[in-house]
Amino acid sequence: MYDKKVIRRRRAALAVLVGLSLVLLTAYFGESPAGVLHGVQRGAQQVLSPVESGASKALKPFRDLFNWVGDAFSAKGDNKKLKKELAQARSQLAAAETAVRENEQLRAMVGLPRRAGFPQGTSPVTARVIARSPTDWYSSVQIDKGKSDGVRADEPVITGEGLVGKVTSASSGTAEVTLITDGSSAVSAQIMPDGSSGILRPAVGDPNDLQLDFLQKGRKLAKGQVVVTSGFRAGRLESLFPRGIPIGTVRSVSPNEVETYQRVHVQPYADFRRMDYVQVLTARAPGTQQASVGLGP
Amino acid sequence: MTVSPSSILRVGLLVLLGVVLQISGLSQIQVMGSSPDLTPLVVAAVALWAGSIPGAVTGFCVGLLLDLALGQNLGSSSLVLSAVGYGVGRFGELRDPAHGLIAIPVGAAATIGYLVAFAAVSFMLQLEASISALVVRDALVTTLLNAIIAVPVFGLIRRVVRPVLLAQPAGRRRRAETRETGPIGLRGLEV
Repeated sequence: MYDKKVIRRRRAALAVLVGLSLVLLTAYFGESPAGVLHGVQRGAQQVLSPVESGASKALKPFRDLFNWVGDAFSAKGDNKKLKKELAQARSQLAAAETAVRENEQLRAMVGLPRRAGFPQGTSPVTARVIARSPTDWYSSVQIDKGKSDGVRADEPVITGEGLVGKVTSASSGTAEVTLITDGSSAVSAQIMPDGSSGILRPAVGDPNDLQLDFLQKGRKLAKGQVVVTSGFRAGRLESLFPRGIPIGTVRSVSPNEVETYQRVHVQPYADFRRMDYVQVLTARAPGTQQASVGLGP
Repeated sequence: MTVSPSSILRVGLLVLLGVVLQISGLSQIQVMGSSPDLTPLVVAAVALWAGSIPGAVTGFCVGLLLDLALGQNLGSSSLVLSAVGYGVGRFGELRDPAHGLIAIPVGAAATIGYLVAFAAVSFMLQLEASISALVVRDALVTTLLNAIIAVPVFGLIRRVVRPVLLAQPAGRRRRAETRETGPIGLRGLEV
């Protein structure tokens, strides 16, 4: 058994230390930052700072060693985390690049109807391409605008570069656009400034090759000449496209000795594989102004 | 422990070394997102080998030095570490633990007690502070790390304070002399 005196002394020591701590705590909180205890603390920090600085330098190799070991253990987790962050950054980059491209396309679309020679009397409705045909044989896309937006069948569809197709069917909120690269498509077109007219058909499977047939022989045609819609109408091949919509440029001319017509290969302006936005040239109601997509020129 | 210049010097050096090592070295080592805390281990080791009063005084001094050096609320660490030192010291006096691995549970208990009590004091003093769940995780990791380093720390501190202790710690006590046995190996049948 312990002596009562020892017990009392022990308890007294604890009480003194706890009391001293509470007094310090209370006084420290009670005084201003310029008070005595704060001053003592600042002085102690000044005194201890060289010791801490020296110890910190001396212990740096040990710290580095331990941290290196810790880093090695956590490297696997870090690797996983960084891979996740990289994937996020990549998706953000893709989204940013997509936005830039969409912006360029929309700006081009705004500019195209303002060009000289572009057919007037239409009201462009901007639409987003929401679905694409996966085959070469059926070149069509679905857009997110339909009858409720004024889109009707047989209306021409353009991008910022030029003609891409026509609306073949429209529901209330969507529409099906058959591209001019589709095998069933035929567009009356003419070469500028020569004025030679013909029927533009696609080479199925190659969206970069359109063939302009039924051009009269003897016409001098050159590479790089511009091809636009002619607005031609003749029997079954009646053109639904107004005159003056750019289509592409002459890439090559195929003279045929046997035929009475000549064929021209046309490089389309539009990139059919990278369309995100298109414009449907809807018939403008009399007395209304041309619609805008809300972007500056 | 006798109060002598030698004991004061030894414990004082331990206190200074423990605090400086902690704030300049160990606190910057990150293991599993947290770092070991030497200060409760130093206090607990001194208290375990030297008793409750030296333990409480050591705790007070370590806490005061810590508060002074780090610019914390003066008295908060002292309050908590005094209690830790006293508690561990009483445990040592009452149970007289002799097991070689006693440092592990004592170190872990001292650490978790210090961290919880210090968190409680800090929370009471700063009512606007928010408590994250990470605090709990850090406390557990620190306790685990302290349990790992407790054996060498306790052993080192025992070597330092042993010369000024009144009696050898229980683990170092010499065994009592065994009685000799008789010719057939049975006690009480000595010839």
